[in-house]
Amino acid sequence: MAKIEYRYFTFFVVAFILQFTVIRFIEIVHWRPDLILIVLVFFSLKKGPNWGMTAGFVSGLLQDLISVEMLGLTALTKTLAGFLAGVLSGKLTTRAEFFLVLLISGFVHDLVYFFISTLGENFSLHSLLIFYTIPNLLYTVIIGAIMYYFFEPILAES
Amino acid sequence: MNKIFDLFGQRRTLLLLLLYILLSFLFMALNDPFVLRGFRLAILQGISWVYSAQHRLASIREMEQENKMIRQQLLELSLANQKLQESMLENMRLRRLLKFKEESNFQYIPASVIGMGQEQTIRSLILDVGSADGVAKNQTVITEQGLVGKILIVEPHQSIVQILMDRNSLVSARLQKSREIGVVGWSGNPWLDLNYIPRDVIIEPGEVVLTSGLSRVYPRGIKIGVVSEVSDVDYELFKRIKLKPAVNFNSLEKVFVLFTPDTSLTSE
Repeated sequence: MAKIEYRYFTFFVVAFILQFTVIRFIEIVHWRPDLILIVLVFFSLKKGPNWGMTAGFVSGLLQDLISVEMLGLTALTKTLAGFLAGVLSGKLTTRAEFFLVLLISGFVHDLVYFFISTLGENFSLHSLLIFYTIPNLLYTVIIGAIMYYFFEPILAES
Repeated sequence: MNKIFDLFGQRRTLLLLLLYILLSFLFMALNDPFVLRGFRLAILQGISWVYSAQHRLASIREMEQENKMIRQQLLELSLANQKLQESMLENMRLRRLLKFKEESNFQYIPASVIGMGQEQTIRSLILDVGSADGVAKNQTVITEQGLVGKILIVEPHQSIVQILMDRNSLVSARLQKSREIGVVGWSGNPWLDLNYIPRDVIIEPGEVVLTSGLSRVYPRGIKIGVVSEVSDVDYELFKRIKLKPAVNFNSLEKVFVLFTPDTSLTSE
């Protein structure tokens, strides 16, 4: 495994642990950033769709394992997010690309998640998207911007 | 042959995507993570490790202050306890006179919240106690404020709690004053819903809602929340009742796993 993959692996592990432990301390109302998604978008933009969806599938499945939701649901949504980010890589300039791709893949991630998890239930999909997805996404993009500023030089493939 | 490989190469991304989608749906259909249990254990151990490291960093001064506060509370509680014991003895005498059935004694396992599940809308809690500490599936989780939820997944040293703000959670509840029985559920809002209360029942905001004890999981008399809003809709048979949860799920740090001899028999 190349050095860059080790770096990303470390970032995934750190993001994963932080997501389940300290993220609740920066939660605003019910909204919290998705650190795993941020690292996944970073990774997919650099490595392309194949690596992106593989990383998405594995990280999503690990998230599912300590969740009370359906096993496989986050694996599916993170796979799609990784795939989208990978497919969209190289289409835009780097910085704009990152924010836009984070927004698009985050939105698709949540849309699929809510659609499947609320199938057959008396839930309003659009209100879930308004109440949770938009604030969560904005929060994720803000944290993503901070992470981008600090970690882009480290994660950039020379 | 090379052409076939080229074709496969071009379509590899789509095939891989299809494979992952299929695998995800397969996991959803099976929903049995037994084969992946080792991974779950490793993740929970990692979370426990981070929590203990965080905990060790807490300053001694903070602990001293907490100790002082706890001692003060202990004194107040022991005084209150004496009064309660008096009341309990009186209650027992009266119950015996009325031939009431004795209720089973609860036992508590104190636990710390070491992490939170990252589901999109709902939130599960990860506790630092597991089967080695006596925790079992479906045991009730409470705080001094009221009901938190129930244990859903148990590992030797950690467990995962399904909280009330989970759309799969349903609790049989009773209104404290009117004694009407309904079902508390959650539909994605910042409040809980009390369902199946007929329209002719008079309910005022502020009324307390407790567990009814009719469920095989939750014992009777634990506070779920307080009625915050009551409304009627012409074409509906039941009232629409919003509840403010007794527990603030955002700031949970310490909880108790409550068990009675009956809990070990339940498995929903």
